[in-house]
Amino acid sequence: MAASIAKFLRPWSPGVLPARWTRYNPYYLEPEPSKEVYRIPVTELTDEQKAAQELKAVRPIKAAPPGLTSSVFSDPTVSKFVNMMMEDGDKVLARSIITQTFESMKRKQVEKYHKAPATEKEGIECNPYTIFHQALENCKPIIGLISIQKGGKYYQVPTPLTDSRRRFLAMKWLITECRDNKHRRTHMYEKLSQELLAAFMNEGNVIKRKHDMHKMAEANRAFAHYRWW
Amino acid sequence: MALKRLNRIVQLSHTVSLTRPLHGSGCGLQLGAATQTEAPMESPRAVFRTSESEPASHGEQHIGQFYTIPPSQVKTIFPHGLPYRFQQQIKTFNEACLMVRKPALELIGYLKKADPAHPSVRYVLYGERGTGKSLSLCHALHHCSLQDWLILHVPDAHLWVKNCKELMASSYHRARFDQPIEASVWLKNFRVTNERFLKEIKTSQKYIWSKREFTDEGRPLGEIVDQGVTRVKNASDAVGVVLKELKAQARPGSYRLVVGVDGVNALWGRTTLRKEDRSLIDPSELTLVHNLRKMMKNDWCGGAVIATVTQTGSVFTPSSAYLPQELLGKEGFDFLDPFLPVLVRAYSEKEFESSYQYYRDRHWIQHHTVDSLKSILCVSLAPPAGHTEEGKKELLFLSNRNPAALERLCAFL
Repeated sequence: MAASIAKFLRPWSPGVLPARWTRYNPYYLEPEPSKEVYRIPVTELTDEQKAAQELKAVRPIKAAPPGLTSSVFSDPTVSKFVNMMMEDGDKVLARSIITQTFESMKRKQVEKYHKAPATEKEGIECNPYTIFHQALENCKPIIGLISIQKGGKYYQVPTPLTDSRRRFLAMKWLITECRDNKHRRTHMYEKLSQELLAAFMNEGNVIKRKHDMHKMAEANRAFAHYRWW
Repeated sequence: MALKRLNRIVQLSHTVSLTRPLHGSGCGLQLGAATQTEAPMESPRAVFRTSESEPASHGEQHIGQFYTIPPSQVKTIFPHGLPYRFQQQIKTFNEACLMVRKPALELIGYLKKADPAHPSVRYVLYGERGTGKSLSLCHALHHCSLQDWLILHVPDAHLWVKNCKELMASSYHRARFDQPIEASVWLKNFRVTNERFLKEIKTSQKYIWSKREFTDEGRPLGEIVDQGVTRVKNASDAVGVVLKELKAQARPGSYRLVVGVDGVNALWGRTTLRKEDRSLIDPSELTLVHNLRKMMKNDWCGGAVIATVTQTGSVFTPSSAYLPQELLGKEGFDFLDPFLPVLVRAYSEKEFESSYQYYRDRHWIQHHTVDSLKSILCVSLAPPAGHTEEGKKELLFLSNRNPAALERLCAFL
């Protein structure tokens, strides 16, 4: 038994060395992109941080994924949204659509802001990132439905959702809505900016879909006990 | 296309900017603060606006500051002259603010001192992509317009040598080609800018358009323009007539003419247009280009020619080319020689600071790490101390002080 544990802990490298791989040996450490960590002077490090620094000298580090930046403007939610919107690995196109969306949202809001009288100016939100986060928050369902088989039939059973599942559903609904229900000649960024602004005000088709999900869950309340976990 | 978009921002920021050391930049700022009547409320150290809306009175102390062009003047002087992104900015910010920069001041100084009796001087603005050549041209034209000159502005000569939907053989000259749509659009905008001159200037000879249509000698030039706008088939020839008349009658005693052409290297480059037998058309075979080339010669007095050479929008030129020799080619350079070159550089530190303050003031930079003014809903995201400068430093790094790159970066932040 001691021999098998020792075998697990010895330095291991794969036969073929890929640049990036999802299945790393747990031995590999995560890369640290934030500049703040490296700016702390040596004297002010806590014991855990000192231990982490020493560990980095002996352990290998995973390759940084392409979406990881040390930029102050990077946002993990936006990165996740870009990845979900990406098709055929074209992250440049997906990211450019998102930046155009933010620009068009900001233009509409800033134009409204400058034309509004002084009393209404406070209420107009111009930051595209806050609008995006708030709209996503408004689109997240509270309760979801899963398909459970009982007695030869499949029932839609209401169930609580984890945070990641809720975020995934909100993003998925936004993207599918903008891809399907738009005029052939409308650009993706135009439609997406309209949907995000509508979701920010709690209107629009994505909010409607969320409410439909809630109503279905409410209607199928009786089958809740079919879930055994 | 998206790759090109991101590559563009990278290219813009990679431009080598040889910024001048800021000798006495401290005194410049203080002088600015002392002479300005209007100061922004939020930050007394950087004064980025000036209340002088007359380009004639702009001086060294106004460099880096924004002056406002009244909306009425924007509509008359620049119906088609401003770059597209600047037009969007005017619509969003509800005001047209232009930064006073050294190349434009230099140009305006030359224009003020130029003698109308001497042949017209040709000025060529050149510089790397996104440094502000078109807007410097617009600044100079604004000055000329307020001094009551006749403005002949071709917003983008590259549009005349590519993507032409309707190309027809010229009725006047067998070997040439007409572009009715481009010509009529240009005539319409020309009419908007120079209404009052069109009533005063008279034709010097009779022009016959077709069997039943003709314009007599001594009729106002406005009639030629109307003829070109209504009879689209004759639009290119109408443009030619207008250019010929204006050039012939621009004497020291009468009006002063300024010809502003953006992308003058299009006139001597290559076109993407093809004849019916699929052979490429030379620019000299296009009526509009042929007539505009005649305007660019310095054989007339009482005015000036301000041109921009730009790679953006040009066809068959490498993206690293920005010098006049590279973009104009031998033929164009020999035609324009001798000309006065004016280099347009990227922002200096003071201009960058000023531009940044302007965007903040207009609520354009919204990201919380860039110390946004509007922190009502961002209270929870309030940046920690020392974090506010991070965003600005990153913007400085990413844009490399290039005006267009900075504008595109701030657009989505």
